[in-house]
Amino acid sequence: MKITPDECIACEACVPYCPVGAISMKDDIAVIDQDECVDCAVCLKSGSCPVDCIVFEPAPWPRSLRTVFSDPRTEHKATGIAGRGTEEMKTNDITGRFQRGWVGLGCEFGRPGIGTRFSDVDKVAQVLAKHGVAFESKNPVTALMEDVKTGKIREDVLGEKVLSAIIECLYPIEKFQEIITALKEVAKEVDTVFSVEVINRAEPDGSYPLRKLLDEMSMPYYINGKQCAGLGRPLADV
Amino acid sequence: MTHSLHRRGTRESLKEDYIFLHIPAKGHNDAGHEPKLQEFLRIALRHDPKNIGTILLGNMYSHKIEEVIDAARGVVHAVFDNPEAVTAVLKELKEADLGISTVVSGIFESVDECFEKAGLKHHTANFSLGIWGNTKRLPPDDILEVTTMCGHALIAANLVKAMVAEVKAGTRTPEAAAKALAPQCACGIFNPARAAKLLAAMAAK
Repeated sequence: MKITPDECIACEACVPYCPVGAISMKDDIAVIDQDECVDCAVCLKSGSCPVDCIVFEPAPWPRSLRTVFSDPRTEHKATGIAGRGTEEMKTNDITGRFQRGWVGLGCEFGRPGIGTRFSDVDKVAQVLAKHGVAFESKNPVTALMEDVKTGKIREDVLGEKVLSAIIECLYPIEKFQEIITALKEVAKEVDTVFSVEVINRAEPDGSYPLRKLLDEMSMPYYINGKQCAGLGRPLADV
Repeated sequence: MTHSLHRRGTRESLKEDYIFLHIPAKGHNDAGHEPKLQEFLRIALRHDPKNIGTILLGNMYSHKIEEVIDAARGVVHAVFDNPEAVTAVLKELKEADLGISTVVSGIFESVDECFEKAGLKHHTANFSLGIWGNTKRLPPDDILEVTTMCGHALIAANLVKAMVAEVKAGTRTPEAAAKALAPQCACGIFNPARAAKLLAAMAAK
């Protein structure tokens, strides 16, 4: 994103709209810090500029990643859907992606509202890979890995900053404690924040084995969450 | 796409925050899904939603309701502020048998009750373990309670602060400030009714 300096009237209207605080006033015009800007286009789409001097020019690789990982209105080639992750558990009643006895893990980097460099994503992905998780093949972060067995993110994108990047993976519930412990350790080494989610298929009686495990481990989790109602058709046999 | 999962707040506040996602499964039942998503939105509209939206267009605060319905594609959303409406929508959806996956976000116990009253069993759950990493970089909790209602993080903390300042100065009502924030949340899962209460509380400090 750029602001045309000759046209800016220094009204400051655009400044608060930037989700990562990359717009500031310098020498009586609004400027965008190009290294911090994630090309999400929120400033442009907000319509806050009274003289329309905010512009977006599609960037070449690897900066082009910033828009696809930051503006959820763009469609990822890796997933074929708008947004940054996949359908994950939302359509599990049909896809059967998460079966009984397994846990889905999602780590959304940069969220909420900080943004992330892929170097932070890389650190955590490599740790998870060492513990044998299966990375989600349709996820856009997985598509940036040199090798899904190591979790290593390709070198040329590590410095790119995006609003959000989600690691999605799967592992047997027996490994839950081991993986959460490893995640807690590597979390100390990252510069950004990441929101952590876990997914579990209900048992026939409606209970969630993972919830029981979280309680046994005294692992804090939010009182609110997402539940699939099982209304999709055709139902997966899981 | 964990965007309706990590909403923060007290139990009292979250009791007024429920989000529906209606989404086809790509490669399974997405052929000709658009009329089904439109039907979902029409059902939702019968129960006074606080927001509806579809990500590739916007929500009812950035576009006319009919425009949102016409543009329904891929995934649509509706937000409610009470469990009675959630139960009523679930009952109508069960009856309509649209065959599209439906996810409800909210306090687990409340949503469990809604499912039970609608004669549904939960299928799969998504739990939030919170925010990890360098949490010193986060804005204060009361700001996060507003910004996390846009799961794609398109509502800036600085914009929330600006709205609180306007409410405090008396140049906007909390409701008007919440409606000014709502268009930034592209897919329409932002809850302006809850946001107005949170902004008013911040301005009163």
